[in-house]
Amino acid sequence: MKKLWIPGAIVALIILLAIAAPILGLADPVRQDIANRLAGPMAGSPLGRDEFGRDVLSRLIWGARTSLGVAFASAIIAGVIGTAFGLIGGWFRGLGEILTVRSMDIILCFPPVLLALLVVTLMGPGAGTLILVLSVLYLPGFARVTYAEVLSARSLDYVEAVRALGAPTWRILFRTVLPNVAGPVLVQLSLAVASAVVLESGLSFLGLGVVPPAPSWGLMIRGARATMEQAPMLLLWPCAALTLTILAMNLLCDGLRDAVDPRTPAGRRRLRLVDRVFPGLVPAPAPRSDAVLEVQNLTVEIATPRGPIRPVQDVSLSVRAGETLAIVGESGSGKSVTATAVMGLLPPVAVPVEGHAWLGGKDVLRLSEPEMRALRGGPMAMVFQDPMSSLNPVHTVGAQVVEAIQAHQKISSAEAWAKAEELFKRVGIADPAKRLRVYPHEMSGGMRQRVMIAMGIANNPKLLICDEPTTALDVTVQAQILDLLNDLKRETGMAMIFITHSLGVVSEIADRVAVMYAGQVVEQGRVEEVFGNPLHPYTRALLAAVPEGEEPPLGIPGIVPPPHNFPVGCRFAPRCRFATAACEAAPPPLEAIRAERQVRCIRWHELTPTEAVA
Amino acid sequence: MNAPLIEAVGLSKTFPGKGLFRKGRPVQAVKHIDASVARGEAVGVVGESGSGKSTLGRMMLGLMPATEGSVRFDGKLVNDASRAEWRRLRRRMQIVFQDPYGSLDPRRRVGDQIADGISIHGLLPSRKRERRVAELLNKVGLDPAHAQRFPHEFSGGQRQRIGIARALSTGPDFLVADEPVSALDVSIQAQVIQLLGELRRDLGLAMLFISHDLPVVANLCDRVIVMYLGRVMEEGTARSVFARPVHPYTRALLSATPMLDPARRARRILLQGDPPSPSNPPSGCVFRTRCAHARDACAEVVPELRPFGDAGTRVACIRAEEIA
Amino acid sequence: MRWLLRRIGISLALAWIVATIVFMTLHMVPGDPAEILLSTGGVSPDPAAVAELRERLGLDQPLLDQYGHFLLGLTRGDLGVSLVDEYPVLDEIALRLPRTLELILAGTLIAVVIAIPAGTYAALHRGGLFDRIASGAAALLLAVPVFVVGTVLVLVLAQILRIMPAGGYVPLAQNPWQHLTLLALPSLAIAKGLAAVVFRMTRASVLDALSRDYVRTAHAKGISPTRVLVKHVVRNALTPVLTVLGLHMGTLLGGTVLVEYVFNWPGLSTPLLRAVEARDYPMVVGIVLTISGLFLLINLIMDLLYAALDPRIRTA
Repeated sequence: MKKLWIPGAIVALIILLAIAAPILGLADPVRQDIANRLAGPMAGSPLGRDEFGRDVLSRLIWGARTSLGVAFASAIIAGVIGTAFGLIGGWFRGLGEILTVRSMDIILCFPPVLLALLVVTLMGPGAGTLILVLSVLYLPGFARVTYAEVLSARSLDYVEAVRALGAPTWRILFRTVLPNVAGPVLVQLSLAVASAVVLESGLSFLGLGVVPPAPSWGLMIRGARATMEQAPMLLLWPCAALTLTILAMNLLCDGLRDAVDPRTPAGRRRLRLVDRVFPGLVPAPAPRSDAVLEVQNLTVEIATPRGPIRPVQDVSLSVRAGETLAIVGESGSGKSVTATAVMGLLPPVAVPVEGHAWLGGKDVLRLSEPEMRALRGGPMAMVFQDPMSSLNPVHTVGAQVVEAIQAHQKISSAEAWAKAEELFKRVGIADPAKRLRVYPHEMSGGMRQRVMIAMGIANNPKLLICDEPTTALDVTVQAQILDLLNDLKRETGMAMIFITHSLGVVSEIADRVAVMYAGQVVEQGRVEEVFGNPLHPYTRALLAAVPEGEEPPLGIPGIVPPPHNFPVGCRFAPRCRFATAACEAAPPPLEAIRAERQVRCIRWHELTPTEAVA
Repeated sequence: MNAPLIEAVGLSKTFPGKGLFRKGRPVQAVKHIDASVARGEAVGVVGESGSGKSTLGRMMLGLMPATEGSVRFDGKLVNDASRAEWRRLRRRMQIVFQDPYGSLDPRRRVGDQIADGISIHGLLPSRKRERRVAELLNKVGLDPAHAQRFPHEFSGGQRQRIGIARALSTGPDFLVADEPVSALDVSIQAQVIQLLGELRRDLGLAMLFISHDLPVVANLCDRVIVMYLGRVMEEGTARSVFARPVHPYTRALLSATPMLDPARRARRILLQGDPPSPSNPPSGCVFRTRCAHARDACAEVVPELRPFGDAGTRVACIRAEEIA
Repeated sequence: MRWLLRRIGISLALAWIVATIVFMTLHMVPGDPAEILLSTGGVSPDPAAVAELRERLGLDQPLLDQYGHFLLGLTRGDLGVSLVDEYPVLDEIALRLPRTLELILAGTLIAVVIAIPAGTYAALHRGGLFDRIASGAAALLLAVPVFVVGTVLVLVLAQILRIMPAGGYVPLAQNPWQHLTLLALPSLAIAKGLAAVVFRMTRASVLDALSRDYVRTAHAKGISPTRVLVKHVVRNALTPVLTVLGLHMGTLLGGTVLVEYVFNWPGLSTPLLRAVEARDYPMVVGIVLTISGLFLLINLIMDLLYAALDPRIRTA
């Protein structure tokens, strides 16, 4: 909103001046005074006189009136008609669409200045002609914008909901669709006004717009050009007025667009560059076990306008060769951030501020970017959730797999392609030689995910991180992918971290599981132990919420707290049936009950029947 | 079972082929489907993407015209109902959507959106609407004071509750729930399932519950319809379909569903490949291309949905007896 | 291939519609062109002369015959003769169109060479000093109308500093160096708006591409940052930039009028402006049709380029 103030104020001032021109007590803008031809600043004429001795200031302000009058009139005419066209075309489709929206394509076949010249030829110059030409020119813009918005609104659930409620068409159009279209139309309106000011002045400059002696900025520049050697200042004033007006209008348009369009971020976020922690500054504890990856006390911090937040705090995990560790949690639990931090793929705003992540004797949180690059896609690889957006649409899938191979192996292209074909066969893609040359959009979701997996295992990774790899897939395809991943793990003996929100998937694929809630691991252990005998109240509640069998699922009251609002004590306490004052007072530690079994709850012991612990 | 409140017979939907510069093949989204829901009954429609389950729901609501077939609501044929008649019918049939973010107008207060149904049908004088909105919010487990807020102030689960309150505002008899919990986290999902179950019981709603999630359907519904590529593969009581699936597709689907309890896990039947395109379905049985039991005969005739066993199950497979 | 044929078919149909609209509007305007042409200073012309001119121009025939004649001429490339000096319109266009195209191409080249690298750099260092300066400059350049830039360039460089010629034209064959000096200012003036637009678009689409999942995938493969930038970011960001470029090159076809006027560049605009003032219909129609045709051609080429750049369009 801040971006709107200054240009908004300038535009408002110019409009105000233009409206108030008759009552400002200015000299008559068309009265000639040959005696004072090209005179400099003088009494009553602070900016001097022009080539006919007319007052420059007065002509400037009256010129604004002409320019803006023409611009607003044409933009509003085009806006009203164009919006109506777009509404009709977008809502009723069919013939209405052809008549109102498709027909606009014809106007777009003419370059704007040319169309203007054509109409001026036919109708003669003048303000009326200008308004006509400009409104015709801007008609397609409005019609298209409205049309596109209406089309997208038609398919929105809440528009369909109003339809399902039985609302008549007019009510849907005016109450639900039009407010949606209003923003873009407003932006279009301001764009049209700015552009109309430019065109009007250009045509007047050519002598084809406003008819002299009426004041207009374009005409003033045209006039001043003839005498620019004697009186360059005469050129300056209208040029400056014109530029300032258009600049302010453009900035206003940009600001409006940002305010209306949620896709472009409203304010520019100033990104502070990550200051990487100096390697070796703090003597790091050595990795403790034979784990392929050992994450110790990882904390990730994100700088936000509301201050730093920690979506991941004090997370410790480890995974051994040939083992699958599942990280399970609801949205906002920090499971993906954990994985992304290990891969070194966090966005610049997010920084791992504490902890270690050991992979093959190296702390991957403290490696330089080139060292990380050698690891990524090599010893540790990642498969992402949405295979469609994760593959580049403009390269063949084969080229993308080959790229991954060649990033880590010094082999010829022919060898790399042969290897890619081998990989395709391995991940179960039929007819691999042909499929290599196919683009992502030509494949099904399941096939694309197989391509992503082929890319992940291309360089025989020690660790494969899968971030919700089956969430976007149908259940029968999900089963295929889970089987494939299991087979690959068995064959290669790699370690696998599998991130998911589905407890069923965990139970099918994982050896061990880490349950995350609000940025922390709350319970960790072997899957059959954690699911068979959950110790943390959250794990229990989560298991009870899964609809399976005859019992109706039980919801957990409340919602996952957002990261800027984490409770001080146990983060689950506000939703926990067993919470006491002590739970809310201080953060509970992650307590190791025995090897590979941890729980973050101060009351786990009293809540669990003793025989179950043993 | 009492007489159905809504009954669809032989519904089909064909979408004209899309394509900017050339006409594509027409897409057969739904083919000859019968479905009925009685008062107080919940019928689940299960299928993967492209099975036509959402299309079926929208056709039953009249939000999308059917290419073929008829829908009877409360004993009356509604196919050629006039616009005015349809608007009256709308009051009695409502829908809850999948996406809790897209289903509410971001620019209007939730109270106003819930009140829409009441004002469109003139159900209450305007001074009483506010009270009614408060009651509805209460019923779906939200604070009545929330009526003054905008949708972005709510979490996904809360928005889904608002969507349900909006659907209830006209006092419907029939509710289509189109994947109402798919976008929600599991702990929130359970809350909404609980709510829908209670509403069905308390209000005696007839409910068509569309979902790809078998355990959810099994839990909430009395009867299930299993769809694949626009056709019904199997239908029956939820209990029998999930305990003893007959059709090879139902079995594969059930075995592919990840189960928490290892004891429940059926031996995995892996389907080969992806579902064929609905614009070019296989001849005969649409499932035969991925079916382990397919024979030449399966390509020749479209198997009709026929009774199987004594539990009221109906199945569309010519080899059902051999396989079972 | 069928897609290509269809696309060409649509372009031809649009060209025909444009030609028809131009023809019809000319003949539906009140007043007789012959009469208007022969009137001087409000004096009614001699009816005999008017009739003679009408016959010579074929204006006495039925409208449909004239239309048929006009279309037939079009297919043969015959655009008629100027009403003013009876010079064939096509010859005039053939002489001047290359000069206009030269201006547009030079301007586009300058704009692209400057704006695409600058836009990419600004996006990569978003919020940095260069980004802020370049974005500000682009906003300013967008705001100054092209004829203002032209006029000020002439005033400062030619009139005050006297380091550049004020305008004019010398054929390349006659004096290559002078030709280029004279080309410099007008093509700069043309480049200014285009550069600003292309800069903004490049910056926006590179920023967009940077946030895409496939760029994250590329990083996850462990390939070098340069390769990620070239193969995954810039390559994908190019399509929207091309759209804007195509759109604006089309607009430029008409927009050169102002630049040619300011710098006395004898392109298409001189005869066009003269014809507009003299109501020399065949000339106006000929030039408008030529430029609209070129406009359609550019759009067609742009569509083909998209298909080459984005495989999704090819199969759509």
